Amino acid sequence: MQYEAIVGLEIHVELNCLTKMFCDCPNRPGDEPNRNTCPVCLWLPGALPRFSREALEKAALACLALNCEIQKRSAFDQKVYYYPDLPKGYQLSQAHHPLARGGWLDIADEKGAPKRLRIRHIHMEEDVAKLIHELEGRTPVSLVDFNRAGAPLIEIVTEPDVRSPHEAMEFIRNLRTQIRYVGSSECSMETGTMRVDANISIREQGSSAMNTKVEVKNMNSIRHLGDAIAYEIERQKASLASGEAIVLHTRLWDPEKGVTLPMRGKFEGPCVPDPSVPEIVVTGEWIARMRALLPEMPALKAARFQRDYDLPRELASSLAGDRELSDYFEAVSRESVPPRTAAHWILTQYLPALKERQLSIAASPVTPGRFADVLRRLEADEINAASAREVLARLFDTDESPDAVIERGGFRQVSDAASLESLVEQVLGAHPTAMGDYRSGQAKALGFLIGQVMQASSGKANPKRVREILLSKLA
Amino acid sequence: MREKTMDSGIFVYREEAAASGTGLLKGRTVSVQAGLSVAGWPAEAGSLALRGFKAIEDATVARRLREQGAVLVGSTRMSELGLGLRDDGAARAVTAGLADIAMMTDLVGEARLAAADAGIIGYRPSYGLVSRYGLFGLIPSMEAIGVLSRSAADIAAVMAAVAGRDEKDFSMPEEPVPGFLDGAGQPRIRTLGWIRESVAFLERQERQAFLLALEGLAKAGLTLVETSLEEFELFRAVHQVIGSVEASSAAGKYDGVRFGYRSPAAKNWNEMYLKTRGEIFGPLVKPYLFQGAYYQFMKYGAFEKACRLRSHLIRELQRLFGQADALALPALRAGFDPREAGSVSALYDAFLFTLPASVAGLPAVCFPWDDGDPAGCRAIQLVGPRLGDAGLLALAGQAVTNKTKES
Repeated sequence: MQYEAIVGLEIHVELNCLTKMFCDCPNRPGDEPNRNTCPVCLWLPGALPRFSREALEKAALACLALNCEIQKRSAFDQKVYYYPDLPKGYQLSQAHHPLARGGWLDIADEKGAPKRLRIRHIHMEEDVAKLIHELEGRTPVSLVDFNRAGAPLIEIVTEPDVRSPHEAMEFIRNLRTQIRYVGSSECSMETGTMRVDANISIREQGSSAMNTKVEVKNMNSIRHLGDAIAYEIERQKASLASGEAIVLHTRLWDPEKGVTLPMRGKFEGPCVPDPSVPEIVVTGEWIARMRALLPEMPALKAARFQRDYDLPRELASSLAGDRELSDYFEAVSRESVPPRTAAHWILTQYLPALKERQLSIAASPVTPGRFADVLRRLEADEINAASAREVLARLFDTDESPDAVIERGGFRQVSDAASLESLVEQVLGAHPTAMGDYRSGQAKALGFLIGQVMQASSGKANPKRVREILLSKLA
Repeated sequence: MREKTMDSGIFVYREEAAASGTGLLKGRTVSVQAGLSVAGWPAEAGSLALRGFKAIEDATVARRLREQGAVLVGSTRMSELGLGLRDDGAARAVTAGLADIAMMTDLVGEARLAAADAGIIGYRPSYGLVSRYGLFGLIPSMEAIGVLSRSAADIAAVMAAVAGRDEKDFSMPEEPVPGFLDGAGQPRIRTLGWIRESVAFLERQERQAFLLALEGLAKAGLTLVETSLEEFELFRAVHQVIGSVEASSAAGKYDGVRFGYRSPAAKNWNEMYLKTRGEIFGPLVKPYLFQGAYYQFMKYGAFEKACRLRSHLIRELQRLFGQADALALPALRAGFDPREAGSVSALYDAFLFTLPASVAGLPAVCFPWDDGDPAGCRAIQLVGPRLGDAGLLALAGQAVTNKTKES
């Protein structure tokens, strides 16, 4: 029997606000435990929540980035359950009236065809405290760190439109790009600022039934998300094949073993309207103001790069996918560097160099101006590509201007005919066999000879001129 | 200089230090309940759940009282988390002359009936007029900080000091504060309505006494109007369902993890949690929380229905304010002593007439009445439209003064 998978995703994204969602405590969960707490986020008696405007704005930007419609009225509910990570016995979340509804993201499916995946809604909620279970001597103790309690989150709930691990991974990559673009979150599954749960069921191909789903949690990278979904689909197929019914439950992905394992059910109560946080009412004017804050989003920017800079689609998308990177590219291009050269060098040289040094674009000493200087020298044939790479590498460790680095390192390309001709004479004299090979029709020998001249010039010769001179001598 | 005496069950903590400041409340002594935060004071709110708990910061109300010169003299004993009047000491702090003014939580009508029972004035402000920051509370959408005193003018001065926006309480709407000190500038109450279906709950003799009292009150130049609110009996169910559900959530913070009593018998945190929550609540609060949890988890539809009915009842009361400037309701009921109510049903029986103002967030005041007949009406309750607080207090003050002159 042919099966198809039906997958819906629930994505928690931690907003990078300065403060928590309902109090002024710093939103820095990683600080020394219980440092960032107050009567409100500890929910001491008498404290009242004060909803943060910044959280609303960052959430709204993320909603707009995901093509959702912001609701004029939304409200917080209490998701009731009892657990020591939840100091008041309920979590403030928008169960009945979410902030936004009805969004979508486009992805490319396995065959590269465009596919639109729908988002059902996005709601805001507060994060809960972190539990640490350890041993004090031989006594097991459970410690509670309230730094994370009250941290601002949004939860994105998709429609069950995902059909494969590939689609889920593409959706999350695209979602991450969009949300990073508007600056609401880093969306890192590795560091936990994004958590993705997948609801998975399978059905006979062609059927429209919605069968019992299984929820899978605990994936801490996009690759693991794909692996976990793939595993779970196969597990469900095997269950059905052996006549076992699928039951509604939650499973945890075990990255070591590469399997999903059932977890103990957690009691979850209903959601009742919260009487202390007022309804959130926004005007059409406010939504328009939020929309005006949106930057040019990646898809539009990529199209513009293709059109205005005449870049191939791949290059344009790669650059536009990261806001800082695309800004960098445009800054370099503005400094009289041909866009294709800039794009190519940024992607193949600059980015790997940053990665190797674990630097961000903002923290990099190679500013667009300095980088453009190097590329302009390259374009003007003052240095060759090998030298340009070396100069670029040196710019990471010095404040000197590219010119100074080129001069001091003697990277200026040797192009004058007299010097090059004497080098060529030398090489031809030393390699009569190669010369003969070329003349007897072995074209490969030319490459060897060019290499020898370059080596003799310590890499500084202009390879184009070397080639011309060699060809004229060999003719 | 702090002294911890327990004046025959009235106070749980007394502060013998502070001198009076200057301001509207200069020289006035004020007691608070042990569930309203005053920094450094013990605040157990009558519950094992808060054993040993001390308030960390001042409630907005406490701060504003002091800013206007009031002397906070101590915190009074209270029923667990403010529900009911079984152990309450607030009214007695006033009648015993230990405080000019007592502040206390009003959930089902505690501040009003404590006053009615003690023969003083008890007032509950419009919802949202006074910051709840620092009030431990139990029913967020229906709780208010009530004020008790012999003097309506003192209550008005307290309101002038504490009412108005507080950036720590986001649930307060942006609206103008009534002019509490400007009695003449406020619209006067000229027509007083009474609700046919409410007096139907009184025994015949009681009903006659109540209507007689209203006629006496009307002599001061009021027109009495008979009105009808067919679903009056629903206030009780609506309050009980919504109130218990909110209480069940609000009491979720009492778990022995961060403060208060923790059951010693547990072997792991799960057990600690369950045992602690099983042991910390008393005989009135515990069944009330169970009821709330029942509606929340098992009968959510009933809760939703109660919310719809609540909106309907609020609209109905608004309709009545089209016929009368204020509504008069009975306060006490013969045979239902509010101080003795020890079960949830006895509580709702005794507080039947104070529920409408709690459900609708309306201002209400109870003041003593004396016809010279020992079997007569002892107290009258007035309910006003939203933000009609000052008019109610003015009328109550006038009625009490007139009675004092008569006798």
